[in-house]
Amino acid sequence: MSGRFFIIALHEGGRIQEETWELVSFARRCGAAGPVMMVLSDEGSIERLAGELAHRTGLDVVGLAGSHLREYSAEAYIRTLVPFFRDASEEEEVHIAAAHTSRGIDFVPQLSIGIDACCITAVEDVGEGSFIRSLHHGRFRAEVRADRAKVVITVLPGAFAPEDIEPGKPGRIRIVPAGDISLSTRSRGTRAPVHANMGLTRAEVIVSAGRGLGGSENIRLLTMLSSLFPKSALGATRAVCDQGWLDYSHQIGSTGNTVSPRLYLACGISGAIQHLAGMRNSGMIVAINTDPHAAIFRTAHYGIVEDLTTFIPLLVDRCLKRG
Amino acid sequence: MKILVCVKQVYDSPETLVFDESTGQVTFGPHTVFRMNRYDEYALEEALRIRERLGGAVIDAISVGPARAAKTIRRAMELGADHGIHVQTGDIDSPGAFERAHLIAAAARGRGYDLVLAGVMAEDDMESQVGPLLAAVLEYGCATGVIFEEISGNGREIAVEREVEGGSRECLTLALPCVLTIQSGINTPRYPALSHVLRARSSELECIAASSLAVPPPAQSLVRILPPAQGRKGEIIEGTAVEKADKLIHILREHSLLPRQGA
Repeated sequence: MSGRFFIIALHEGGRIQEETWELVSFARRCGAAGPVMMVLSDEGSIERLAGELAHRTGLDVVGLAGSHLREYSAEAYIRTLVPFFRDASEEEEVHIAAAHTSRGIDFVPQLSIGIDACCITAVEDVGEGSFIRSLHHGRFRAEVRADRAKVVITVLPGAFAPEDIEPGKPGRIRIVPAGDISLSTRSRGTRAPVHANMGLTRAEVIVSAGRGLGGSENIRLLTMLSSLFPKSALGATRAVCDQGWLDYSHQIGSTGNTVSPRLYLACGISGAIQHLAGMRNSGMIVAINTDPHAAIFRTAHYGIVEDLTTFIPLLVDRCLKRG
Repeated sequence: MKILVCVKQVYDSPETLVFDESTGQVTFGPHTVFRMNRYDEYALEEALRIRERLGGAVIDAISVGPARAAKTIRRAMELGADHGIHVQTGDIDSPGAFERAHLIAAAARGRGYDLVLAGVMAEDDMESQVGPLLAAVLEYGCATGVIFEEISGNGREIAVEREVEGGSRECLTLALPCVLTIQSGINTPRYPALSHVLRARSSELECIAASSLAVPPPAQSLVRILPPAQGRKGEIIEGTAVEKADKLIHILREHSLLPRQGA
């Protein structure tokens, strides 16, 4: 890919978000020559953040600084980034990548309109001058090509392994004052998770339910299955919690708990990326689903195509009989 | 207060899709059933709750799509939307997020919406783009993944909480007008009331031909549809149900994951 390539590093509580290192791998896969790291913050912390990026990646860093960037808001990011990229000519190829996280997906599409760019979200692979993303619950992938010189991309967390970067000598740092923009959005801080579940994060075995469970009356199947394992807990996809079959403290996924038990039993879970984000580092993943094409079977170590309502009682029965 | 809710019609189950490897096209099979995108149901329900809280608010529901999308707009009216707008795309079955956002913006402009709500994403394309793109085109503020909202400041602003990784919530206050994309679980969507169903049946949808709206050329094109990537080479356990159960028990025991019962 020709032209300039920028990686926007997001940060929270003074820490660079981990997905940033995956974006460096992504840029390399795109064949970007000398990608530039970008970070936005207030004057008090910009040099430290930019310094960390320059040391860890060896890439050049642009730090955009202004008091309006003390806390994240989409408005603050867009009103800083749009003027920065507007300087590029209409024909110049520019790629801008950020992580497909709740913040990335918040400001990136808005940025694309501001700079007349193409916006491609949740990218998980790179083609010949094209990008690949999942659709239809992970059953298919779409290969898409940008029809604009400027492209902004969100990259799916976990899609590109953070390579061992040997930075050599740190990159050059350029701090650019972004002015002090008065915003119409007021940040009121961050509230701690309402539904953090220590039992879930400590469990060695998690028996987890998706929409395929069918209804709250089948929760007893999960309880039955989990009783075979000491140190086990019940998990669920967001859809199951939305239905009220289990409360949100059981939710596993990008907006819920992140877990890595020794064994993850995925029951009736289709395998949406938001759920995989919360459990893909589990030691062993076993999936039970009636649909042989469910995306979860590509993440699972072992898959069983069966109906939960008959298979779980059978499994428990065989287990008890065999002692 | 004028509220616009964006509703998308999606297929009910991806199992009814048909992939033709020779053409690289995904088409809807004969048994495909269409319904409202679940995330949009939460957006619509939130609009209905705002109307109940404030009184006097007017809710328009808009959808971009072929003729069949009218059914989803009617559904929104059965649930309580006052007015339905159908941006008709004719033969184009499912325009991309960029076209969709520009078409909604073109239809919405000049109508004085104070608040635009949409689902956090569509279940089929999973792009999470229409809401924030629409906000940028309309030059409205925007918050995505909203799990709580409260209109304040005499109806001039809205306090929201966005759900972020790990279930933390970012709290912010936006000036109206703005666009919010609504996260599932913010409310429990209601069932239609009979009075609304009867009213929806007799009211006309406002139809706008997409071709009559000025929108920029597409920003991206589809090269092809691919089957899913071969991820980890997992093993599908075969056999009768009993054999599968026994094999799984054996595997779990081998890995010391399943203790002997009663031991």
